[in-house]
Amino acid sequence: MSNAILVVGGGFSGLTAAIEAAEVGYDVFIVEKSPFLGGRVAQLNKYFPKLCPPSCGLEIQFQRIKNNPRIKFFTQACVQKVQGSAGNFTVTVAIEPRHTAPNSADLSLLASSLQGEAENDFEFGLAKRKPLYLSAPFSFPSRYVLDKSAVGKEDQIKLAGNPFIEMNEAPREITLEVASIVLATGWKPYDASNLTNLGASTLQNCISNMQMERLASPHGPTKGKITRPSDGASPKNIAFVQCAGSRDENHLNYCSYICCMASLKQALYLREQYPSAKVTIYYIDLRTPGRYENFRKKVMADEHITLVKGKVAGVEGLAGGDVLLEVEDAVHGVKGKHQHDLVVLATGMQPSLASGCNPFGVTLDNDGFVVEEAEKGIFAAGCAKQPLDVMRSAQSGTSAALKAIQTVRRR
Amino acid sequence: MAQSARIEPDISFIRELQAAGGDTVKKCYQCATCSVACPISPADNPYPRKEMIWAQWGLKDKLLADPDIWLCYNCGGCSDLCPRGARPADLMAAMRNMAYKKLVEPTAIGTWMSDIKYLPILIAIPAVLFLFLWWFMASINFHGYFPHGGMFPMPKPGVGIEFARVFYGDYVIDPLFMVVVGFVLFSFYKGITRLIANIGPQGSVMVLGKRKHWLQCLVETIALEILPHSRFAECGDAEEKRIRKTGHMALVFGFIALAIVTGTIAFGHWFGRIPFLSGIYIETPLPLGHPIKILANIGMILLLVGLSYLTLRRKGLDAAKQASSYYDWYLLGVIWAVAVTGMGSQLFRLAGLTAPAFITYYIHLVAVFMLFAYLPWSKLGHLVYRTAAITYVRYMGRK
Repeated sequence: MSNAILVVGGGFSGLTAAIEAAEVGYDVFIVEKSPFLGGRVAQLNKYFPKLCPPSCGLEIQFQRIKNNPRIKFFTQACVQKVQGSAGNFTVTVAIEPRHTAPNSADLSLLASSLQGEAENDFEFGLAKRKPLYLSAPFSFPSRYVLDKSAVGKEDQIKLAGNPFIEMNEAPREITLEVASIVLATGWKPYDASNLTNLGASTLQNCISNMQMERLASPHGPTKGKITRPSDGASPKNIAFVQCAGSRDENHLNYCSYICCMASLKQALYLREQYPSAKVTIYYIDLRTPGRYENFRKKVMADEHITLVKGKVAGVEGLAGGDVLLEVEDAVHGVKGKHQHDLVVLATGMQPSLASGCNPFGVTLDNDGFVVEEAEKGIFAAGCAKQPLDVMRSAQSGTSAALKAIQTVRRR
Repeated sequence: MAQSARIEPDISFIRELQAAGGDTVKKCYQCATCSVACPISPADNPYPRKEMIWAQWGLKDKLLADPDIWLCYNCGGCSDLCPRGARPADLMAAMRNMAYKKLVEPTAIGTWMSDIKYLPILIAIPAVLFLFLWWFMASINFHGYFPHGGMFPMPKPGVGIEFARVFYGDYVIDPLFMVVVGFVLFSFYKGITRLIANIGPQGSVMVLGKRKHWLQCLVETIALEILPHSRFAECGDAEEKRIRKTGHMALVFGFIALAIVTGTIAFGHWFGRIPFLSGIYIETPLPLGHPIKILANIGMILLLVGLSYLTLRRKGLDAAKQASSYYDWYLLGVIWAVAVTGMGSQLFRLAGLTAPAFITYYIHLVAVFMLFAYLPWSKLGHLVYRTAAITYVRYMGRK
């Protein structure tokens, strides 16, 4: 009987759970659906609590994984089927082909010579990518991925001669014997195109907060210069629309926990880049839990940052790319239309499992979060359980690892 | 020492409001989406967000002094977008319902109109009254307490069924309804006076520039806002909103047509007796081709069309977004009764079916009484109170 633990999801909470379990002597498998580990944190420019870049915290975790023979991870992998019960699971995992050789050859020259292009999910549609790519310079594993569907005829000829490309690699399926499972399936940004009154899908200069992270990131599509998507102009008067989808029974019927802090943080990105820019944050309630309160004070001390209590409920595009926001200032009881040249929708987080694929047989609540059922031997960590910041995700990863170990030990 | 402001919530008021249809008000977290969603609320002090917090806090005085509850057209746009299902539109409607209930005496009628359990009383008053009149006139006509000619006078050759032979206009129906009209007008006079006193500003108002006469404001309100249904159009052109506009318009113009008919007949009937005005004398029943009869039938058809639109729309409302109160159903129900029995009496009369014709006409009288005598306490009171409030805010310089 296997003593191994399966961790589904290679984001911050999953990595933490895997490392914690492995470092006390358990075999761990990580199954990650994207080609690289790091999850949402890898997409951020800076993250709380210390506002360090993602490479900072992730690099240590990647080192620990690399140096620990107990951890095995599978990328581009997806759990298909879970059989058995607590203490004795048989898990079927489907693995997509990577089409590159299993070493970390530097294929950057080959990649840049290719002509095909595909939508770049990592950049949330702000840029295209080549068919052969790494998501970020510090991507782990540092092994290129080939997206065969974006390869044209000419590219095919270039790729054919390269010894590190394996065009004929086929998808495969493996089975893992594990004793318990940690679900660290994470979250996805709420689909802002559902917010029809906020113009998200129709106006180019209405971006989401995750797109803002990519714009601010030095590895992002603009190399860290925050510009308007429509014309590349530097924004001078930026608005943040809080609760874009969150705390709304028509969309996400809960508070996504991080968006207030994210917008305050992003307001500082803008203020650092554009010392004369003005930032307005429209909010329902500003939620800055615990010690984040100090951060709020710091941001609010900035005279160029204004906070207005009132949810934006109407958005209009203007000629030239500016955006008109309609909102009532609920403190003063004045309704008005305000012109901004860039609008950031603070979209909330939706659990990945809410989309319907749940081979684990765990109970989900109405919003798609995992309901704790210890007797099943499956434990949720991070945002699969509830909306959390990175720090608390890591804590919940440790907690899930401990529960998973208990399941193994108590058999 | 500085005195801290203390909110004195009126708990019984909150309870009453919840009972009147504002039961979701506590869900509101003041995000102000509703104020923006409302296309007709003004930029300064927009509604309905402020009403929501006043209601949560039980600030009865603030709500009573608020003209905005009457400026809301109840399109439900705010409730559609509300992230909490707090249904601001229902609160505004509940506030109006409370005004119908409380604004004027006798408050007994207000109470009877607020709950379906009192409906039998409301029906019984006109039902007994008209039954008595019917029996009384029949016994005079046919000499005897138990009229041996029966309750149904036989049709006259050449004329057909005449409702006036028992429901005798000159001495019975007309004077009775004139008393009702007087009572309703007096109640509305009291209601409007109180409404204006409530929503008027405290202290004195300094007016810069010329002020319009209030009559001019009233004419503008009716001609620019009410008759063209301009606010209904501003409330959006989604399918459901368009149905609402069409239905309401049909009802309004149907009632206007019927008012013209009633007015003309009453005028001709009474003033036609003056010798030199005998040319305008009108006697009912009118032949079908008579212009007044044609107008009456157009009015009736408009009522039926409007009723169908509004009833279907109301039945199709998403209950999670907009609930229908007893006030809504009472009004629709009574107008249905008026229109259907009006049509029925005419058809039975033309078909020569004596008993069904008289019975239907009797129900028609009961329904008409229920529509008009209780008007200031029913949802139809908005006809007067909303007009008064809109006129007043126009007069105060708000558009």
